[in-house]
Amino acid sequence: MDEQTPEPERQSDWMNRADFLTGVAFALLGFTIIYLSWIMPRLEIRGIHPSTVPGLVPGLLGALLAISGILLGAKALVRIRGKAGWRAFMAVFASEQAIRFAVVSGLCLAYALILVGRVPFWLATTLFVFALIVAFEVWLNDAPKPLLRSAVFAAVQAAIVAGLVTAVFQYGFLVRLP
Amino acid sequence: MFDGLILLANGVTHFLTPESLFNLAWASLLGIVIGALPGLTATMGVALLVTLTYKMAPDQAILSLMAMYVGSIYGGSRSAILLAIPGTPASAATTLDGFPLAKMGKAGMAMGIATTSSALGTVVGVFFLALIAPLLAEFALRFQSYEFFWLALFGVIISGRLTAIDDPIKGYIAGIVGLLFAMIGMENLHAHQRFTFGISQLGAGIDLIPAMVGAFGFAEILTVMKRKVVPEMAQSTDRVIPRLGDITKHWWTTIRSGIIGTIAGIIPGVGEDIGSWSSYAAARRASKEKELYGKGSIEGLVAAETGNSAVIPGAMIPTLTLALPGSAAAAVLIAAMLIHGIRPGPQIMIENPEFVYQVVGMLLLSTIAITIYGLSLTRLLVRVLTVPREKLMPVVFVLCVVGSFAITQRMFDVYVMIAFGLIGFILREMKYPMAPLVLGIILGDLLDVNLRRGLLITDGDPTPFFTRPISAVLWIVIVITIVMSIPKANESVANLFKRLLPQGRSG
Repeated sequence: MDEQTPEPERQSDWMNRADFLTGVAFALLGFTIIYLSWIMPRLEIRGIHPSTVPGLVPGLLGALLAISGILLGAKALVRIRGKAGWRAFMAVFASEQAIRFAVVSGLCLAYALILVGRVPFWLATTLFVFALIVAFEVWLNDAPKPLLRSAVFAAVQAAIVAGLVTAVFQYGFLVRLP
Repeated sequence: MFDGLILLANGVTHFLTPESLFNLAWASLLGIVIGALPGLTATMGVALLVTLTYKMAPDQAILSLMAMYVGSIYGGSRSAILLAIPGTPASAATTLDGFPLAKMGKAGMAMGIATTSSALGTVVGVFFLALIAPLLAEFALRFQSYEFFWLALFGVIISGRLTAIDDPIKGYIAGIVGLLFAMIGMENLHAHQRFTFGISQLGAGIDLIPAMVGAFGFAEILTVMKRKVVPEMAQSTDRVIPRLGDITKHWWTTIRSGIIGTIAGIIPGVGEDIGSWSSYAAARRASKEKELYGKGSIEGLVAAETGNSAVIPGAMIPTLTLALPGSAAAAVLIAAMLIHGIRPGPQIMIENPEFVYQVVGMLLLSTIAITIYGLSLTRLLVRVLTVPREKLMPVVFVLCVVGSFAITQRMFDVYVMIAFGLIGFILREMKYPMAPLVLGIILGDLLDVNLRRGLLITDGDPTPFFTRPISAVLWIVIVITIVMSIPKANESVANLFKRLLPQGRSG
């Protein structure tokens, strides 16, 4: 795949490569689940009927997942065999969309997994809302807003959102916020 | 017969109280706003609202959720018409003719027609809900473990097949992954803990609400923020209230689309988007003005909007009578009903018949609410669309976090939400449908327990699973569905039909 390749073809090539990788991943997951279901206790000591062992359904589902994964991967492999294009495939992970994804997911994860529970909820929320708005208005924007203007409005919105959500859940729904 | 009519009348009048009307008013308006905002979907709205209504009385909570559901499916048409971006996937077909109409300066007319079509679509669906649900519930009383096992598998397979038209394997994989998620935690036959890996919070299994908030909320935030496009909005200056002639002219399209939408709703896990696309395709095939489709056909707009709204009552038919979700949002509704002590399933017409008719009442009242809002609040709803996503999405994420936390007040549910958000995002990017996954999570337990219980009753003999009449129908449909999703098999069957049919009639 090079620069001249038409967009739809490039996209379908990318999807085929992604399908190949996910097919392999699902097949491996399927086999792992089959193994875990096989070694799952069969509760013989409790005298249960052998056709009701807890691992029966997960094992069957694992097998179905493995088969589907192999079919998906094999179908994709036939389509991409012999074609170069792994470099174009990897390029997506360094695109502008990938950067936007990294920023938004990074901020969300930092808020939900690190800040919430460690600092007061209202403060965590204020920081998160402020940071996300400013990041996407000032830096990750084709028509960036001036930093000061964006920061002032973002701070006001962040304070209002944090105050409202905290008040509504804490006093309205009587939730003990983290 | 008369009992049914009395229950129906009671179902509607039950909600004619100030409290109910207040809940109806805010929830349907919030629904329209959520539906209109691209990136906020009906399923996400309903899932988040479950966390806000769990302290209400059951009837009021479900009323608010239904009003939100109806409102958001309708609200999606606003952004479809004005921005050419469907507010929810259900309105994708609406954009095809809605936006060209707006470009011609007929945005108001398009919004008016979308409003009346949505209302009529819901009414057609409600008619079938009131008619079919009691009969189906009675029929389902004959179901035993064997039938319930096949029914669960049928739901996941059909949903997987119909939501992933291009590559059915992806639909099946999504369904299997959903079923596997349901295997986590304590199983119901021997109380054995499966796949908990020593994490005690996993003992009770994965809670559906945080999982849905993640898969439909957080995943959607990631998808929306990742994109760069900034849409351009069409102006609306003409009259919104449609002329009676514009509505009555397309009466046959309305009825046909309503029926198609209802059928799409009844099929497990097949949602509003498919109802809308199928009605649109059928209307186009039958139309005398095919060439106008995609360029601003009012008939096309009627078909799309009637089709998606009729799915909602249609989806409630299997949801209430079989506990088999007719759509992704209906899966969340099942979880909400269970939280409030309402048990959907074949027993519902015996244990709680008035609830089925209350749902009919909720849908009818929500329809009236969206019609009033749709024809009156044009300016406000247009202004909603100008809220930039940078300002909106962080607020939505805060609600996702606090909403997941609120029900059981444990951080673990927030982690579940995050995990499902990331999994949902990756699967969506890879073009895996979400509905079979949700169906899998809901139906996993039904499938697991009934397979093993059936085998226990027959002492390990699987024959009744295949020989009992209803079971036989179900497994044959499942096999045909899977075989027909193999392109070669599909082709051979098509060729066979071509040879059997007289020439000229095959195409």
